[in-house]
Amino acid sequence: MIKLNRASLRYGQILGLSPTTFELPAGGGITGLLGPNGAGKSSLIQLLSGLLPSSSGEVEVLGGEPYRNSSILARIGLVPEGDRFPTGLKGVGWLRMMGELSGLQGAALEAAIQKALGIVGMEVNGLKPFTRMSKGMRQRMRLAQALLHDPELLILDEPFNGLDPEARLQLMDMLRKLADGGVKIIVSSHILGEIAQLTDRILLLFRGRLLAEGSVAEIRELLDRHPVELRLAAEDARAVARWAVEQGELVGLRLEEGSAVVAVRNPRSFLPRLQAAVVDGTLPLRALDPLDLNLDAVFQYLTKDHA
Amino acid sequence: MPIYAPTLPPRENLQNGSHPVAVMMRFDVGRILRAKLGMFFGFVFLFLLILQVAVLYFRYLANTSIAFSGVKDFAAQVMTQGAEYQAGHIGQMVLIPLWFQVALIGGGLVARDTLHRIRPLMYAHPVRPQDYLLAKGGLAALLPFAIQLPFILVPWALSLMVAGKNGPIWVSLPVHLLPAALIIAALAGAVTLGASAMAGSPRAGFGWVLGIVLGSFALGGMLAGLLKAKAFLALSPLALATAWPQLLCGMNDPFLDWGPTVVGTAAHIALWVFVAAQRTKPSEAVL
Repeated sequence: MIKLNRASLRYGQILGLSPTTFELPAGGGITGLLGPNGAGKSSLIQLLSGLLPSSSGEVEVLGGEPYRNSSILARIGLVPEGDRFPTGLKGVGWLRMMGELSGLQGAALEAAIQKALGIVGMEVNGLKPFTRMSKGMRQRMRLAQALLHDPELLILDEPFNGLDPEARLQLMDMLRKLADGGVKIIVSSHILGEIAQLTDRILLLFRGRLLAEGSVAEIRELLDRHPVELRLAAEDARAVARWAVEQGELVGLRLEEGSAVVAVRNPRSFLPRLQAAVVDGTLPLRALDPLDLNLDAVFQYLTKDHA
Repeated sequence: MPIYAPTLPPRENLQNGSHPVAVMMRFDVGRILRAKLGMFFGFVFLFLLILQVAVLYFRYLANTSIAFSGVKDFAAQVMTQGAEYQAGHIGQMVLIPLWFQVALIGGGLVARDTLHRIRPLMYAHPVRPQDYLLAKGGLAALLPFAIQLPFILVPWALSLMVAGKNGPIWVSLPVHLLPAALIIAALAGAVTLGASAMAGSPRAGFGWVLGIVLGSFALGGMLAGLLKAKAFLALSPLALATAWPQLLCGMNDPFLDWGPTVVGTAAHIALWVFVAAQRTKPSEAVL
């Protein structure tokens, strides 16, 4: 469905995206595009949404090169970052124009507008001028605009920027429902927590390069030289620490109040032994908490390696 | 694990609506009407049209009524005659407010999209850069053409109605002035399109258009005066617009001769369309 083969993007002398290769399968689902500002997320989005041609390599979206390809563009919905509304316009008026640009007309257009407004919960507020809409409402209108023509691929550039927590959760919920309905969604963000809440599948970009691709756990497994930190909570933390040292796999150990934090090189062999020890009662463990199996830790490791 | 869901069924082809050029033009016309920019200029142009009709009627009376025979010779001395009068229907009296209106409306056509960063979103739809350019340039040219039409057709029709072939206005006037109006519209459209594409806001677009029109007129006038060569006035779109009706009506001493007028007009149109195309290409409309 989406295939990049050594595709790169240059802005004159500046390299926005280094030659990048990855493939996303057909079917619905959410893929997070993650990276700090300037990582190349917007460059990648511009390639995928057909706004710019690749400077080298090949970009294939929905079976074809998207740049200046009307038949492909008509199947993509783009939600750019920030407001993109002409002043003095009502939400519905703007949707009507965008729908017409996508080839909708007459009753089909009006039905599509009502459907899109229904999906984003803006049936009433969509009639207001943009100047009287809250940030959350405007974000919903941006999403409605991208949904008008029933896109197979929905691309959102930093959609959570500036939204309050409630609006964020609502937007995430909407995106999950769309993904369940078969829409392929690509969401970019520089906030790790947002992507982690939304999806497990990520493309990690840094300084114009694709650092990693896959689920957080898959990517974490790639980082063999970074030990996994586990917090082992127990009444007798010293006993737990002693047991861990006896296993001979530790690369780090520290005692905290009511727990021992161990750094293990190979969690695949350590964890089954830990499980067995807890089951047979030799280890009085109260809780096990992996400290760096989250997206933040993966991100920190990867970017540190490539800095 | 990723959330996988069934692939969507093939969707019907949506490409059966209006062409993107028509959609964008319609949208901009709606915006212009909402902005009520036409009210002031509508009054100005109506006043000018009434003035033209009044002059026309006075000429008719001076030629036909005995009561006006006393002022006939005087009128012939102070009023323009022949080709000059015919060309004057879209002379500077009409063209100067026309350029102002075109600057005010046309200056914002592209600049507004730049300010609100709408262009990338349009290009993410099945809209080609040439569609965008055609829609904006088309409207920028259509507006001045539409404004000039009444100044040609209303006096011509009235003259035909009241005096037939012997009226003060040539029967063939539209044949001379409609092509002139078209060329002026294309010139004004190209200049405003280029100026608007260079600007970051509608106000700046207005400034750019006026700057180009008035600045080039001042420069052209200065060079023409210093070098004693009228051809330098062809630097100015305003001078070119003034010259076309005079040339096409066959005036003896036009503002500019054929050569500089043709070259100047072609150069201006080519330059400003090129500028607009460069400034509105997708790489300039990055997210």
